[in-house]
Amino acid sequence: MQEAYIIAGYRTAVGKAPKGVFRFTRADELAAEVVKALVVSVPNLDKEQIDDVIVGNATPEAEQGLNIARMVSLMGLNTDKVPGVTMNRYCASGLETIATAVAKIRSGMANCIVAGGVEVMSGMPFGGWKLVPNPEVAKAHPEWYWGMGLTAEAVANDYKVSREAQDEFAFNSHKKAIKGLESGRLKAGVLPITVTENYVDANLKKKTRDYIVDTDEGPRADTSIEKLAKLKPVFAANGSITAGNSSQTSDGAAFVLVVSESMLKQLNVQPIARLVSYGVAGVPPRIMGIGPIEAIPLALKNAGMKQDQLDLIELNEAFASQSLAIINTLGLNTDIVNVNGGAIALGHPLGCTGAKLTVQVLNELKARNKKYGMVTMCVGTGQGAAGIFELL
Amino acid sequence: MGSRIACHFANIGVEVLLLDIAPNELTPEEQAKGLTLEHQAVRNKIVNAALETAVKSNPSPIFTKRSLSRISTGNFTDNMKDIATCDWTIEVVVENLDIKKKVYEQVEQFRKQGTLITSNTSGIPIHLMAEGRSEDFHKHFCGTHFFNPPRYLRLLEIIPTPHTDPEIVDFLIHYGDQFLGKTTVLCKDTPAFIANRVGVYSIMSLLHLVEKMDLKVEEVDKYTGPVLGRPKSATFRTTDVVGLDTMINVANGLYQNVPNDKAHALFQLPGYVLKMKENNWLGDKTKQGFYKKVKSESGKSEILALDLKTLKYRPQEKVKSATIDGLKLIDNLRDRMKAYAKGTDRAGEFFRTAFFGLFEYVSDRIPEISDELYRIDDAMRAGFGWELGPFEVWDAIGITEALAGMKTLGNEAAPWVHEMLAAGHTTFYKVEDGVKKYYDIPTKSYKAIPGTDAFIILDNIRASKTIWKNSGTTITDLGDGIINLEFHTKMNTIGGDVIQGINKAVDLAEKDFRGLVIGNDGANFSAGANIGMIFMAAIEQEWDEINMAIRAFQNTSMRLRYSSIPVVVAPHNLTLGGSCEFSLHADHVQINAETYMGLVEFGVGLIPGGGGTKEFALRVSDELKDGQIDQNVLKDRFLTIAMAKVSTSGAEAADLGYLKAGKYSISMNRSRLIADAKAKALELADAGYTQPVRRTDIKVLGKSGLGIVYAGANSMFAGNYISEHDKKISEKLGYVMCGGDLSAPSMVSEQYLLDLEREAFLSLCGEKKTLERIQSIITKGKPLRN
Repeated sequence: MQEAYIIAGYRTAVGKAPKGVFRFTRADELAAEVVKALVVSVPNLDKEQIDDVIVGNATPEAEQGLNIARMVSLMGLNTDKVPGVTMNRYCASGLETIATAVAKIRSGMANCIVAGGVEVMSGMPFGGWKLVPNPEVAKAHPEWYWGMGLTAEAVANDYKVSREAQDEFAFNSHKKAIKGLESGRLKAGVLPITVTENYVDANLKKKTRDYIVDTDEGPRADTSIEKLAKLKPVFAANGSITAGNSSQTSDGAAFVLVVSESMLKQLNVQPIARLVSYGVAGVPPRIMGIGPIEAIPLALKNAGMKQDQLDLIELNEAFASQSLAIINTLGLNTDIVNVNGGAIALGHPLGCTGAKLTVQVLNELKARNKKYGMVTMCVGTGQGAAGIFELL
Repeated sequence: MGSRIACHFANIGVEVLLLDIAPNELTPEEQAKGLTLEHQAVRNKIVNAALETAVKSNPSPIFTKRSLSRISTGNFTDNMKDIATCDWTIEVVVENLDIKKKVYEQVEQFRKQGTLITSNTSGIPIHLMAEGRSEDFHKHFCGTHFFNPPRYLRLLEIIPTPHTDPEIVDFLIHYGDQFLGKTTVLCKDTPAFIANRVGVYSIMSLLHLVEKMDLKVEEVDKYTGPVLGRPKSATFRTTDVVGLDTMINVANGLYQNVPNDKAHALFQLPGYVLKMKENNWLGDKTKQGFYKKVKSESGKSEILALDLKTLKYRPQEKVKSATIDGLKLIDNLRDRMKAYAKGTDRAGEFFRTAFFGLFEYVSDRIPEISDELYRIDDAMRAGFGWELGPFEVWDAIGITEALAGMKTLGNEAAPWVHEMLAAGHTTFYKVEDGVKKYYDIPTKSYKAIPGTDAFIILDNIRASKTIWKNSGTTITDLGDGIINLEFHTKMNTIGGDVIQGINKAVDLAEKDFRGLVIGNDGANFSAGANIGMIFMAAIEQEWDEINMAIRAFQNTSMRLRYSSIPVVVAPHNLTLGGSCEFSLHADHVQINAETYMGLVEFGVGLIPGGGGTKEFALRVSDELKDGQIDQNVLKDRFLTIAMAKVSTSGAEAADLGYLKAGKYSISMNRSRLIADAKAKALELADAGYTQPVRRTDIKVLGKSGLGIVYAGANSMFAGNYISEHDKKISEKLGYVMCGGDLSAPSMVSEQYLLDLEREAFLSLCGEKKTLERIQSIITKGKPLRN
């Protein structure tokens, strides 16, 4: 069995949806830009050596439909020799693709894979354009179809997470993210994207303008506990989940290049990291947010590691309520969780998130000169995923 | 006021340029942002803020958001030149003659010759404003007085100057009536014109009367509210809403400007009003006036009344009056007035003192403020919401009877009243051949009220044109082959008599006429089906009886659609539940601009059972297009019923799907509604009306739509937005609208859907929580959320 290595990784900055910096940018274009840059960053790589492009996406329809991975391969690599496959495990999609790439390489089925994810939530309704639940299931198990906000309310109730605790968590997420942007830590691994906008001006004349996006759009320096406390619950009357203590809807893309040991030698490059282990688990859909409570111990067990061996954790902040439920239940060390802020401040481009957090955790491990980092998230309809990376 | 007038013109489809002054200085926030007085956002901020405040106010000045797209804003400095593109300039600046004159100087520089220019004012003499202006300006200049809020209050006073071109006056009277939906009243250029002169006299005389008779505020409101055919807010509550300062301004103005008025002293403010002004107790705008809303320690809110002697707020007292209790039993307002005048307790004494004084006052105002008596009644009805004007009340009591009472109290009617009686005329109004006529003083004869020939007023024609009637409905012949069916049950609710009447009307129209109008002159078109009847039957578990009643309701709706004659329904004001279902089945809906229409059955734990649910499923089907997402169309229609959405205007009823494009038109003026509906029925008949073919091509979604209904209802329940019973009703509604749990989208007939609708309705009638909801509406008049 050959080991698989991550030798390059980039992400775009994350834009707000639906009115943010990437609202004119299609998912296929955004992903292709990152893949293009990834290939360029490895000088000795012949792009036709790439065995597959695996793209995570949680809503693979409309602009993101028609097997977007194949489109990303064609557009980003400018050759028809490299295939592409789209994968969907909702919010874990971007991590799942990396784990799949690693597994394929380790089993000898491939030597070089582009893996990651993209999601442009601007212009796409949550859950997709056409919802057609099974009426029998909707009657017998309505919670399987609940919106994520309702599940976050259920977690807040079951795990006794107060509104105040959620708002404080959200506030800290913004504070850490603003610091991360100011210190430049959040700029590491970010690929600047040039956006071209054709628009109609106030005099109804067509105009064109270009701008460069290289900074995460979500963090708010002007937020405060008081402002957050004033927001009204949005998913349940008398609930505690607000727009302020939930993750933002976002646009973004992130990819890594995974190669085999032999390919590593052939290219004569230094590896960045390897995936130590990956675990996914099922939990009740009603409280889908607790997924990592099952997935984190599973990933640690697969790796033969203890929780205290982890140096950094990127825990996707779908909601403050579920993040706190996980941190409290597993006793995670809050000093190493989301050190540069999480999805509440930085955004959560569903299918991209796993890959984006991977790029972030690897860069932060490097900056801190540390070894083990984890990426973990809850997944809609009751799942959790966790991957452990070792910086090499 | 300017932005509200702008909104109303936009409501009727007119493009409006709204101007206000440009600001003189920047706010600290603007300075911080680096803005200057030259920035467009800063220059128009005053006008934009005023418009925004108006739009956010409740009730809204706009019919739908679309109205706003017709309004552009600007400022006097930059945009006065743009009035060169306008046909009509309306000045609504502050009530200060010098400022108004300065504005007109600018207007004159830019306005195109021949365009209309009007001033909206409540107090400044119109003839003074145009001094120094050109001849063309003078010719096209006229005063107007919209009552606030201009969308809702029906009065528009038109005040020409001696130089105003008579054609301009005619235009304003006509445009105000037909296009703006107002009752236009021609006024003379006298202080406060007609409505405020009489209205403020009336309030001021009450303000003095409370001192004399030692009356309490809630007592006066009891005596002067619905029992008189006036709004529930009556006297003092209305003053709180309008603002005591506004009333004081008009009263002070009158005190200064009508020194020779016999009632001059009454326009002087009593001591307690001056104190209230000093204390800034101006009503709702300062959170306290004659009433004050407070929260008790238990968190319950209570409305306290002001004790006018101690000027302290105290809990309201129950007003006891045998006269008032007796009057409540008299439905006919004119009969009620007659009985009120004979009341033997304090209420009767109050009535006589107030009204006999008013009779003297209004009779003395002719010809000072108007040559014709009907204009005073028109102004009071439209401007103050009185159901009967002063002369109409006088007629109701009997002129001679009132004169006797007046004499006792020291009130004297104007000489012309005595001359009228001497000439053998004993009423101010009379109806001849279905035409309401007024007593014309100079000619001592009765004349038709000008401008009303285009109206059909059922009250006036009922006596001569009725062709059939039962306890709840009357069918009248409107002429030209069109008949009208009106409801006249309590709140115009629909029961067996109305169902019978409608079927009879269709039968008659098919046999002997060319078309049918369903319309009435009640306060509301209809509050919906008589749910008391359903409640009783459900308690007795008379399921067969309910089944039959619902079937009859459905068949009646279907009869409206499937008859050989055109049926035009003419709703106005509240049009709820069953009456909305009749509208849904009409060939055409002639809707009043102020119509609040909705399928509100959810509130009583039911779904629309008179064909409304079927009709919404049918409309979903008609909106489906290949390649569209069918479930979204279903969801929109479903939510309209599930959220019991009621339109805030006739135009919004179309947005909510209660009206079908091409199958409705809007009448701005309530008084024209029946006539407009008749014209439409005639037009449809003339165009060669053919009975529609029954539909069997209704696409329902079956299981592919049912899932989203079930999942959605549960999410709303889980989020505590709806109760478990709401969820159950939602599921049943969705089941009917999807055509049941069909395996695939299928074509069904109307009867298929009607059967599902009836079945769901019946099953809900057997639900305890539904019955509790109905009971709450019947006994408390309040919806119950259970």
